[in-house]
Amino acid sequence: MDIKAANRNGNTILSVNGRIDTLTAPELEQAINMEIGRENKKILLDFSGVSYISSGGLRVLLATAKKLKNPGDKFGICSLQPDVLKVFRLAGFTSIFSIYQSEGEALATW
Amino acid sequence: MPPGDGQPDSLTWQPVPGAPGAALYPLIRKIDAISSNSYILSTPDVIILIDPGGLPEQAEHLVRVIGTCRAENDRPLFVFLTHAHTDHFVGIQADPAFAHSDTAVFAVQQGGACALESGDTTVTLSDLMQAPFFPMKVGLHLFSQERPDLCSEDMSFPNGARITITRDQTGPAGLPCERIEFGQGPALVIYYTPGHSPDSICLQIGELLFTGDLLFAASPGIAGLTGWSQETLIHSLGAVETLIAKGGIRLVYSGHGRVIPAADALRMLSAVRADARGLANIAEMEPNRAARTAAFAGDCMEQVNELFTIMSGRLQYVSFILDELGESGIADQSSTLIRGDMIDELLEAFHNFAEEQRHGQDIPIHLVLKAGQVIAKLERTFNRAELTTIIDPSLVRRAGRLLSDYTTMLRGFTPPSECSDCDLIPLIEAVVTGLSVPPFSDEEVLSSADDDTAFSRILLARIGTPPLLADVEATVLAEGDSLHACIDREHFTDLLTYILEDLVGTGADKVEIRTRQTGRNAVVTVAGNVLSPATLHERRTWRFLRGLAERAGGTLAVHEHDGIQRFEFTAIAV
Repeated sequence: MDIKAANRNGNTILSVNGRIDTLTAPELEQAINMEIGRENKKILLDFSGVSYISSGGLRVLLATAKKLKNPGDKFGICSLQPDVLKVFRLAGFTSIFSIYQSEGEALATW
Repeated sequence: MPPGDGQPDSLTWQPVPGAPGAALYPLIRKIDAISSNSYILSTPDVIILIDPGGLPEQAEHLVRVIGTCRAENDRPLFVFLTHAHTDHFVGIQADPAFAHSDTAVFAVQQGGACALESGDTTVTLSDLMQAPFFPMKVGLHLFSQERPDLCSEDMSFPNGARITITRDQTGPAGLPCERIEFGQGPALVIYYTPGHSPDSICLQIGELLFTGDLLFAASPGIAGLTGWSQETLIHSLGAVETLIAKGGIRLVYSGHGRVIPAADALRMLSAVRADARGLANIAEMEPNRAARTAAFAGDCMEQVNELFTIMSGRLQYVSFILDELGESGIADQSSTLIRGDMIDELLEAFHNFAEEQRHGQDIPIHLVLKAGQVIAKLERTFNRAELTTIIDPSLVRRAGRLLSDYTTMLRGFTPPSECSDCDLIPLIEAVVTGLSVPPFSDEEVLSSADDDTAFSRILLARIGTPPLLADVEATVLAEGDSLHACIDREHFTDLLTYILEDLVGTGADKVEIRTRQTGRNAVVTVAGNVLSPATLHERRTWRFLRGLAERAGGTLAVHEHDGIQRFEFTAIAV
């Protein structure tokens, strides 16, 4: 898995590429925590390159949602591939954090 | 090389109980279909290698150990095969000097010996395992029909070995046996135990019994291998059980996996025999069936992966919401129902194995057996009854059915499909209604407020089972009042649910189900708007759904056009 970070107008975009599984979920968690540690609390995950997420990966996202729930914080995920979007929707995660069709759509509302 | 798995008694010399002067060097591997365990026995008269295994590096290790033994005290060498399946011997062929010279005398039951000598690729499973081998000379044919009963025969071999072999057609526990004396030291007793294969034998020295694949012979995917016989297997299992029960055997060394104390082996033999009794008329696991089962395994595991991730995610979601509501006590109850970490590991192990196969040798039977192993473990990790009190019972039921359909197919049976006349319209309406209403009504929530247990149960279910179609505009448009077709109700219900989940899961907020009769066909079309652009590649879900449609008694076509995805199920109208 590969994670690239970018900052756009105070928003942190983490572009994730690859499978989020038992082995790689901790890497994602570390990357997110590093940004939160730097006080970057508007985090958008670009999942256009994510083909699979395991329950361990879902756990990381819920933990992030718990950390980013203060006023002013933002947490969302954009550009999900159909199979990953399906897991999110059917697991109920779309009611916990925002899902966007694209990075542009997310940043326009933040 | 992958010889041991940390068992304390693997890869070390140890005395053989009940056989003074004999020592055993076991090489015990984790269980797989690629290579068996191997055992070297050393007595003052002879060195005996039982099952060299399927890997060249394993054989290389054994040859090295044997070399050291012979350097200390040169003695004749025999290689006994518990049966002539490639995973038990083919590794040794990488050492031609060993495999094809007269250094070692190979000893195999007569049927297996003939298969090895003629290069038979069916009996040896060489075709199925895609493990080619060179025909080889077998110096000692065990249970040869030419050997008279109860008469001792002296034999000598080019490597200098001299043995005395005595046949007893009605040996202990009614098992035909041959006693082989190599000199003054302990003798080896061979029992003829067909069933797993026609040439299977067990070997006893002192208080140790080597059983080859007898204990796996009723396992899914193993039962039904070419040459497998239910009747002879049941007899062999019973006879070996009697043999062990008579006493004198302390430990059982299996062809795969760990060493088993005699008492445990007795229980296992009895359980395997019970399993074997239920395996009448199973299909043979030959290369074509292995390829079909492997294709099903791939699709099935993909879907199992998705269902388990969704179920695990749903429980995490429930726990998260309850935490937010300050109900962390109830949250803890729900989060323990699925071992997400263990399931992730299992599914990942299968994914990695499948990827290795895809990029490597791609041997269907290996994938088939690996899927069987993972599915058996998954079956043990989730508690269906408790899960259905929280999350959508349809998810749990479908996951369970997938696991059992695969196991059924792996065992050599056809997954049950009971097609009968069914009116599709009320069935579709019932499915849609079931997916549109919450498991408990608002009134039920209110009336449970005074009962803590009932309230937490209802709260968990309300959070854990949000109706799939709650925020979706779902319409059923039926042509006429009824539409009868010949289908399997349960599989059709699953199919429709999977399709609706796929549409809603990938973004549809409008779903339309139309039924119509076209000629002799009943056609059900499920269409929904999809957010994502047209998928360039066929999604694996669709391949799985087409297989499911067949089990439901029809066919399925998938189209995508102008942002609308359409699934069309066709069955014979009645």
